[in-house]
Amino acid sequence: MEESRRKFFKGIAVAAGTTALASTARVSAATKRPMGDASHRWGMVVDLRKCIGCQACTVACHMENDVPIGKFRTIVSNYEIKIGNKTRSVVLPRLCNHCEDPPCIPVCPVKATYQRDDGMVVVDNSRCVGCAYCVQACPYDARFINPETNTADKCTFCVHRVEAGLLPACVETCVGGARMFGDLKDPQSQVSKLIAKFPTEGLRPEMKTRPQVYYIGLDDRFNSKVEGTPSLWKREEALGEEVES
Amino acid sequence: MNTNIVDLISVTREVSWLSWGVQYFFLIGLSYGAFFMTLPAFVFGRKNMEKTGRLALLIAITCGIAAPVALVSDLHQPGRFYNFYLHFTPTSWMSWGSFFLPAYVVLLLIYAWLIYRPDLELQASNRSGMLARVSALLALGGSESPKAIKVLGYMTMFSAILVATYTGSEMAVVRARPLLNGPMMPLLYLLTGVCGAAGLGLLLNRIIADASESVSDNLNRVLVVFLGLTILTVLFWMLTGLASQSASGMVLMRLATEYNPFLFTLLWLALCTLLPFLLIINKQYKTWWLSGFLSVAGAWLFRWSMFIDGQRIPKTGAGFNDYSIPLGTEGLLGIAGTLGLWLLLVIMITSFIPWQGSKQDTSV
Ligand code: SF4
Ligand code: SF4
Repeated sequence: MEESRRKFFKGIAVAAGTTALASTARVSAATKRPMGDASHRWGMVVDLRKCIGCQACTVACHMENDVPIGKFRTIVSNYEIKIGNKTRSVVLPRLCNHCEDPPCIPVCPVKATYQRDDGMVVVDNSRCVGCAYCVQACPYDARFINPETNTADKCTFCVHRVEAGLLPACVETCVGGARMFGDLKDPQSQVSKLIAKFPTEGLRPEMKTRPQVYYIGLDDRFNSKVEGTPSLWKREEALGEEVES
Repeated sequence: MNTNIVDLISVTREVSWLSWGVQYFFLIGLSYGAFFMTLPAFVFGRKNMEKTGRLALLIAITCGIAAPVALVSDLHQPGRFYNFYLHFTPTSWMSWGSFFLPAYVVLLLIYAWLIYRPDLELQASNRSGMLARVSALLALGGSESPKAIKVLGYMTMFSAILVATYTGSEMAVVRARPLLNGPMMPLLYLLTGVCGAAGLGLLLNRIIADASESVSDNLNRVLVVFLGLTILTVLFWMLTGLASQSASGMVLMRLATEYNPFLFTLLWLALCTLLPFLLIINKQYKTWWLSGFLSVAGAWLFRWSMFIDGQRIPKTGAGFNDYSIPLGTEGLLGIAGTLGLWLLLVIMITSFIPWQGSKQDTSV
């Protein structure tokens, strides 16, 4: 884990340095929006063999991004499965996949949701009208309407951190070292090497979204809609009255 | 249900298209459904349909004015609606809708005004005081203009078709929601919209008009055809879905048998679609209030089912998310508010505009 962080920092320091010096990060002339640097394509690899389901990433994301209680930009799904007579626990961290072909973008009636040159899918929440069309269109339930801003909200890959040369908060905090982040365009990056070395899969391939969060060790029963026995508890009961207030 | 996998923690998202959205789809469906019923009288020259046409026109304009209010309220940032016009996005049906909808409402109002003009002029000369002055102003000379009505009728028809297409397609393209994804959405919204409009006509014909038998007959005929088509379409959707195991057909079957059979199968399909169909086909015209009310309720329930229940089906997890309708603006208040607005519009128009034509001038 330490090694992976060090490698990333080294890489990103070079990248950030280059960015600062050569100013390759583009700001769209028409919209004045930050477009990122097209020489990178940010992505994530989640090594499910290492995830311990501790939800440290879920908490770190809440702290970092001030996500309202009861809402999630990332969460680790947790399942109990029966194999023969044995019971096992399965964990699956979920977040926005920063899809290469994201169905949330074309539906947005005001172009508030857009994809930067570095692949990150973000929401311009000063323009978003809160129509929730993108919330419907995302096949991963990755989006929600933030009740404090009344606009669409979702994981940004911690764009503010990445631009400062830091890792996304969930990656930084990952206890098992299961979440790895980096530049998919750089063949030497840790994520590219992992993808080259291990078989990886994205979620819901039938949706043809080309997700850029790659999972190592994903069981076929979990890569699409998981048709199990629904949660035994109800959301409001579990989260308490804070959610209501 | 697979008992070998149990969801312990999973993503459950609340509904984000709210009851306002249901109200919008309901009111606009009633509006274009009713508008189509004005065409025989005012565009295709069927004089014997005039009374039905006038009643339908009242429904079309009152629902047509109330609908956009519900739509803007469904935005979580309603004050930013102008962004629709600053950032047109051709890939988004909703963006197209922001142009189709105002075009439809404006054309509809001009069409209605052309129809009401001679009657407003008559009202101006029959009445006195403020009402006469306003009527004279609104009548603008008050001449009959059958040609202009025809032209406007065709233009409004075109825009109504665009509105019907966009409202249905907006949902039909959402691949992430298999229930909504497919050609059945635009078709069923259209069919149930006409049913709701005809049902409302049956009620208003007795409550605010002169309970004309010919109007009831016309509306009953429309209802039989459109309720029948609705039933056939849903059966077709279910059967082809089962046969081809299509995602949309399978999820519809689950909605009807597992997720919410009470609302979809019992309330909507059996009580609000099949029952009025059977009543009318068996010539039970005395129960007009029941067939009328059930048909209106059916148009609403269908939208509720697709909109709200559709959002309760999780995209990645198992089961059917909980939903209880909130009392505030995100729920009951939204529904009550739009219905109140519609009622106010009906009262205002029936009080000040001779909507039934000169023969039924309110002053007589
Ligand atoms: S995961 Fe959902 S929100 Fe994220 S880019 Fe893909 S479609 Fe859009
Ligand atoms: S909620 Fe905002 S970002 Fe999403 S589609 Fe609507 S305007 Fe676009």
